[in-house]
Amino acid sequence: MILRESFESALNSIKANALRSFLTSLAIIIGTAAVIAVIGIGTSANKALDAEIDEFGVRNLSIFAGQKRRGGVSSGASPLTLKDAYALERVTEHDWLVAPGIQRGRQVQFENNNMQASINGYSVNNFPVRGFNIEYGRLFTEKENLARKKYVVIGSKVASELKTFSRNLLNKDVLIGGASYKVIGILKEEGSSGWQSPDDEFYIPILTATSRIAGTEDLGWINVGIPNDANVDLVMMSIEEVLRRQHDIGPGEDNDFRINDWSQYADLRRQATNIFALLIAGIAGISLVVGGIGVMNIMLVSVTERTREIGLRKALGATPKIILFQFLVEATILCAIGGIIGVFIGTLLLYVFASFNDWPFAMPFSAILGSITFSAIVGLIFGIWPARRAAKLDPAVSLRYE
Amino acid sequence: MISTENLEKHYEVGPEKVFALKGIDLSIKKGEFVSIMGPSGSGKTTLMNIIGCLDSPSKGDYFLNGKLVSDLSDDELAKIRNQEIGFIFQSFNLLARNSALSNVLLPTKYAGLDGKKSLSIAKEMLELVGLSDRTDHTPSELSGGQQQRVAIARALVNRPSIIFADEPTGNLDSKTGQDVMNLLKDLNNNGQTIIIITHEDNIANQSNRIIKIKDGLIEEDNKNV
Repeated sequence: MILRESFESALNSIKANALRSFLTSLAIIIGTAAVIAVIGIGTSANKALDAEIDEFGVRNLSIFAGQKRRGGVSSGASPLTLKDAYALERVTEHDWLVAPGIQRGRQVQFENNNMQASINGYSVNNFPVRGFNIEYGRLFTEKENLARKKYVVIGSKVASELKTFSRNLLNKDVLIGGASYKVIGILKEEGSSGWQSPDDEFYIPILTATSRIAGTEDLGWINVGIPNDANVDLVMMSIEEVLRRQHDIGPGEDNDFRINDWSQYADLRRQATNIFALLIAGIAGISLVVGGIGVMNIMLVSVTERTREIGLRKALGATPKIILFQFLVEATILCAIGGIIGVFIGTLLLYVFASFNDWPFAMPFSAILGSITFSAIVGLIFGIWPARRAAKLDPAVSLRYE
Repeated sequence: MISTENLEKHYEVGPEKVFALKGIDLSIKKGEFVSIMGPSGSGKTTLMNIIGCLDSPSKGDYFLNGKLVSDLSDDELAKIRNQEIGFIFQSFNLLARNSALSNVLLPTKYAGLDGKKSLSIAKEMLELVGLSDRTDHTPSELSGGQQQRVAIARALVNRPSIIFADEPTGNLDSKTGQDVMNLLKDLNNNGQTIIIITHEDNIANQSNRIIKIKDGLIEEDNKNV
C-alpha cells in the first residue's frame, strides 16, 4: 500500500514538473548514453576486428622493405626481391607459406568501360594466406606463373565497376595497362578490411607482374603464413636470419626490413580500443555523478517547495520513514528514467555508428542493465540527504509554511 | 477523552525561555463540541499542536483516551494522528494533483489498510459530505466549500475519536462557511467529538463549550447552551 502510494506520488511529482525533471535528468541521460555508446562501440569494434582476423585464415606475418643503415647513416632503400622470397621458401624447419607480392596501379578496360585499379602480383600461396576463395572459374597455377601467363583473377566487385556481371567477365579478355589478360577466376566477396578493399582489385601471377607490369623484381611485400599454433618469436628469428644473410648485413648492423605480426597488431588495437572505451566510460561516469548532484539540488528545492505537503502527510499519519522513502523513490525513479532514456539514445548512437562503419552491432546486455542500475544507485545516494531533510521536518511548523 | 495536567511549552530564544503555554489543565469529554478562541500569540496554536499530537509539551502530561501521549516517539505520534485524530485546515490542504477520492484515501494508506475495504469507506465518507458525484474531480475542479467537505471526508475516513478543525471557515464565504458548520454540527449530533479553533464569535457560538486562551493560560471556560 505504502510502497504503491510512494511510487504514485513520485511519478505524479515527476510528471507535474516534467520540464524540470527532464532538465535535471539530462546529465544522467547524457552520461548513460555516452557510457552505452562507448561500451557498445568498443565491443562492436572488437567484433569487427575478430572477423577481420578470422578472414586471414592463418596467422600472417608481413615483411616490408626498409632503409639500409650503416653506422646510423641511411644509405638508400634496400628492396625485398624475389630472391629473398625464394630463400625463405627454401627453409624447411618451419611449416610456413611464403607469399611474395607486388602492387601497381593501372588502367583497366573492358569493352567500352574503364577503371583505375590496383593490380596485384600474387604467388599461388597468397590466396590461402589472405584467406581468399574462388567463386567462379579457378585460380592460376605455379606452372602458369612460371610461364608468365597473362591470366587474371578478379575481385567480386570488379564486374560492377566495369558495368557488367561477374559471369559475363569469366573467360573474357580485359585490357590491363593496354595489354590483354584473360579472366580465369572471380573471388568470393571478402568485404573491406581497414584500408584495403580486395573486392575491387585484380590478381595476376607474380612473375607476370614483375616482368610485364612492374619491370622489376623488387617486391612490395612478402607475407608469411604460419599455423595458428606456431611459435611466432622463433619464426621471426628465422626470417631475420635468412634476410640478414640475403642482404649481407653484418653483426651489429640494423635490419633493413620490417616484420609485422598482424595478430599482434590486432591485439594492440584491441587493447587501445578497450583503454579508450574505459577512459570515455570513466568520464561519462563522472557526468553521472555530476548529474547526481543536480538531482540532489533539485530534490532539495522540491523538499522546500513541498514543505506544506510534507507537513500535511505527517499530520495524516505518515511516519518519518514513509516520507524518507517517498523522496528516495522519487530521486531513484528520476535517475532510473534518465538512465533508461540514456540507454535508448546510446543504443541509437551505436547503431548509427556501427552501420556507418560496417561493423557488427554488438551491445552487451550487462552494460544496459549495469548503466540503468548505476543511474538508479546515483539517484538513491544523492536522494538520501534531501529525503532525510524531508523526513526530519517538524509537522507543526511545516503545516504553516508559506 | 482528552485530559491535560499542567501543560507547559517553552521555546529557547538565545539564553531566554519564552513560554507559549504556562500550565494548562483541560479536560474534554467524548461527544463534546468545543471552540478554542484567543488572540494571536495567546498560545492557542501551540495548544492545538500539542492536543493534535503534532508537537510535544515541554512539561506536563497529556492523556488521550487514557493513554499518556506526551512523551511518545515521532513514529508513535504519527500513528496516533493517523488513527485517533482527523484534521481540517483553514486552507483545506488537499493534494492538488490527486482526485477527491484519492485525497480521502491517503490516511488509509498510511494506516496500511486493505485496498477494497478502505475504498468503500472512502466512498461512503464522500457520500456523507454530499460529494458522491465528485469523486474523480481534482481540487482545482471543486469550489472552496466542496474542497473543505473533501477534507472533512478525509478527516473522517479512519474513524478518529476527535476531529480537529483549525479555522475551518476562514477561507470560505459566510454561506458556504455555515454549510460546513452545519455538517460539523451533524457529525457532533451523531456523537463525533469536535474541537474547533476560531476567532469568530458566531462560529464559536455554535459549539457547546467555549475555551478562551490568553498569554498561555485558560482565561475562560464556559458551557454554551
